[in-house]
Amino acid sequence: MTTLNRQATPQDPDHLKGLHDDLQEVWGNPRGIRALTIVNHTTVGLRFMVTGMVFFLIGGILAMLIRTQIAMPDQNFMNPDIYNQVTTMHGTVMMFLFAIPMLEGLAIYMIPKMIGGRDLVCPRLSALGYFCYLFGGTILTFSIVLEMAPNSGWFMYTPLSSSEYSPGLGSDFWLLGITFVEISAVSAGVELVVSILRTRTQGMALHKMPIFAWYILAMALMIVVGFPPLILGSILLELERAVGMPFFDVAGGGDPLLWQHLFWLFGHPEVYIIFLPAAGVVSTLIPVFAGRPLVGYGWVVFAITVMGFISFGLWVHHMFTVGIPQLAQAFFSAASMLVAIPTAIQVFVWLATLWVGKPRFELPMLWIVGFLVIFVCGGLTGVMLALVPFNWQVHDTHFVVAHMHYVLVGGMLFPLMAGLYYWLPLFSGRMPSETIGKWGFWLVFIGFNVTFLIMHWTGLLGMPRRIYTYDTGMGWDIFNLISSIGGFVMSAGFAVVVIDLLLHFRYGKPAKENPWRADTLEWANSLPPSPYNFVSLPKIETRHPLWDDPDLPRTIREGKHRLAVASHGRRELWGSDPLTGKLREVIHLPGNSWWPFCAALALAVVCVSLLIRWYPLAGIAVIVAGVFLLRWSWENGAHPRAAPDARVQEGDPPLHSRTLDGPGLWTMTTTMIANGAFFLSFLFGWFYLWTVSPEWSMPDTSPLSLFAMLAVGLLFAVGCTAMETCVHRLRQRNDLGLRLRLLVAALLGAVASMVLLWLILSADLAITETAHDAVLMVGLVYALFHVSLAALLSLLQALRVGYGYVSAEAPFEPVVVAYFWRYSVLMLWVLVGALAILPRVIGG
Amino acid sequence: MKRLLARLHLTHPGHFVSGLTIWGTWFVAVYGGLSVACAVVPPDPGLGALTSINASLLIVSAITAACLVALSLGCFAAAREHVGRQHFNALVSAWLYAFSAVAVVFVALPIIGVPPCL
Repeated sequence: MTTLNRQATPQDPDHLKGLHDDLQEVWGNPRGIRALTIVNHTTVGLRFMVTGMVFFLIGGILAMLIRTQIAMPDQNFMNPDIYNQVTTMHGTVMMFLFAIPMLEGLAIYMIPKMIGGRDLVCPRLSALGYFCYLFGGTILTFSIVLEMAPNSGWFMYTPLSSSEYSPGLGSDFWLLGITFVEISAVSAGVELVVSILRTRTQGMALHKMPIFAWYILAMALMIVVGFPPLILGSILLELERAVGMPFFDVAGGGDPLLWQHLFWLFGHPEVYIIFLPAAGVVSTLIPVFAGRPLVGYGWVVFAITVMGFISFGLWVHHMFTVGIPQLAQAFFSAASMLVAIPTAIQVFVWLATLWVGKPRFELPMLWIVGFLVIFVCGGLTGVMLALVPFNWQVHDTHFVVAHMHYVLVGGMLFPLMAGLYYWLPLFSGRMPSETIGKWGFWLVFIGFNVTFLIMHWTGLLGMPRRIYTYDTGMGWDIFNLISSIGGFVMSAGFAVVVIDLLLHFRYGKPAKENPWRADTLEWANSLPPSPYNFVSLPKIETRHPLWDDPDLPRTIREGKHRLAVASHGRRELWGSDPLTGKLREVIHLPGNSWWPFCAALALAVVCVSLLIRWYPLAGIAVIVAGVFLLRWSWENGAHPRAAPDARVQEGDPPLHSRTLDGPGLWTMTTTMIANGAFFLSFLFGWFYLWTVSPEWSMPDTSPLSLFAMLAVGLLFAVGCTAMETCVHRLRQRNDLGLRLRLLVAALLGAVASMVLLWLILSADLAITETAHDAVLMVGLVYALFHVSLAALLSLLQALRVGYGYVSAEAPFEPVVVAYFWRYSVLMLWVLVGALAILPRVIGG
Repeated sequence: MKRLLARLHLTHPGHFVSGLTIWGTWFVAVYGGLSVACAVVPPDPGLGALTSINASLLIVSAITAACLVALSLGCFAAAREHVGRQHFNALVSAWLYAFSAVAVVFVALPIIGVPPCL
């Protein structure tokens, strides 16, 4: 450990160069095979985006195959099975492998730069998320090459996707591949939430955040809450297909509508998960090109919040035709109409900003205007579809397909393109080509409208979606032909965009500093940015830092602000108060690591071995992945590879690992929100089947021993108390007996695990015969996982006390582990009530 | 009442989400309650909308809307008393509570005329 006082001064250019060298040494990216160890948000974000673009091209080719097949009646370009595979994979690739990862990639890349950070708060999690996405997406896409792709539609309705009607591996590819990819989405969601709330630079209070950060915060929270229902649904459906547990099989007491509920509990918010970051791009770009602040910042925050919530109350409008009571349909119809209000507020804010500003119609603005036109049209047909009678008429027709594309392409792709062109100078240090860019835009804009405006009419004429051909007498011929021509024009437009991007990195004109005269902090980076973003971290108390202080990029570069030191070898950024932006700690981040790649690789083996039903290998791979992840968690806090030396510069707050409220606690809290959403979805499934499923049968006597369940609950609660005692004493800086208490907690957790395991084995559940027993099994295994993991984490903490990594001076980790115990105790007792007590009280 | 509003810390941004969380809880309660009631004690279809289910849902909705209106007014008052960050937080929260109240009333309107279980 060397000195901690090398801080740059403008009078000392050698010192400044030394500081840059230090930062480069600490933050730099390795090359060659070791590039797989990179965890830096700039690289990981770019990887997400480039991979997303590749999947976009694959999805686009699939779209053109669809348009070729139905361009004319009675065509045999594809047989029905291949057509079904192509349509399913087009939707799946675009929604799961392009839209969400692409926007997450943009957020991962952009957020730290906008809020004055040097990286996201969990960089190894970013890297794990990327590799899970890459491997999961590759496995899923590979099914096309094998001609074994899923063919039940991108929402995989049961019973069509169940083993009876989809006996091949197609549905399994979807369920396992998507679940794998969703690990990536939830990982990104968790760390974006924590990064935005806890790592903003000094002084950046919540109401001074860049508006893009508000959008990403809402998106990330929605991912955290919205994805778990689908993860649960996918696990249940895969269990039904692989093991025969009848969750969605009526004869066994299940209900196929449960799948629809779980899917759309995720699926409808997903539309807004995609839309919100894209709208964030619009709200960021319009003020820049209008040359004035956004009109109604507060109103936009209001609209974002409303959208984030209301979008979770609309899922049944995808299920209006399944036989739900009219009054319930009316609830969802009304809620669907309500979402027009926050959308309209944003549209009016954007128009007002343009109205009162002096807009410059440069290339990114062209895509923004295209977005406004298309998205407003898509929004209006959305309100039409919210009306139950109209919805019934056009259900499952091309009208719905056209509406969806107007909303998703207009609402996401156009702003994304605007954002890509806008931030190109940041990615490459070069300016985009206005001429080629405009050609690309107009071809896409015209092609899109020709394709999908016409598709509304084919839908109104009654053409159902996903039919692989049609008779010439239906009156749909000319419309389909025009739609297909439009589709190819749009493809030509994207080809021009791709060529433009490829040429750009070679021939683009070098960009000058802050080329669009923007107001946000990302433009204070060098072009392209260094791995550490900022040499020094400025105090920001305005929403428009670069407009209010145009000299900021220079002063940051010259290290005139704080935390301009790296000679200690740590990757550092500020940990700030989530509301006020006041400094609370110095967060030290882990460096490049093999663990994320290794863990993702092991999880890929799990995925593939489950796919080919080679369960022993899957079991081994799960254990290997677990070992990798625990080893990863070992290199934290006071570990020699993390921050063994707690010294900081004079006047700086302490290192986060030496406090009791670091970002790890926030990460655990956010993860438990996702976990809680998963658990609530499970409870929803349990009560839904109990109440609604026509063949549900509750046994006269519960197969679960109430005594054993209560014993597990009590043992675990006492273990949790031991953990709480550890935390309480650490708060008083007292670590006497810490190791013993942790061992007691671990022991109690282990005993509770064993009792629970005995309970599962002795219950003699008929999991393949009744949905009741199958649901019980899932609930008990979920509980067993938590109880065992809590015990294991406490045991590791006790070991770390022995190594000196956890103590009164480094008290952080037991606080995080105790939070996991708290969640698990709560979950366990709710489970005892729902599965063991309530059936005894109410009965069948 | 003033003491209660003071204890709620209406300038805290937690209120950004509490109004819509109340709306969400109410929404799940009326949808779930309706579904369970229709499965367990379906009323005579001849009664139309004049059922105990509709009445219960309306009462719950009215109470929820009233609470949200009160919180909205409290936030508006808090916004007037503060400047800067706290003013911003209270004002945005006030409008979010107001929207939530409107959302409860708007979504609950069909309860007045639509039979519950048809």
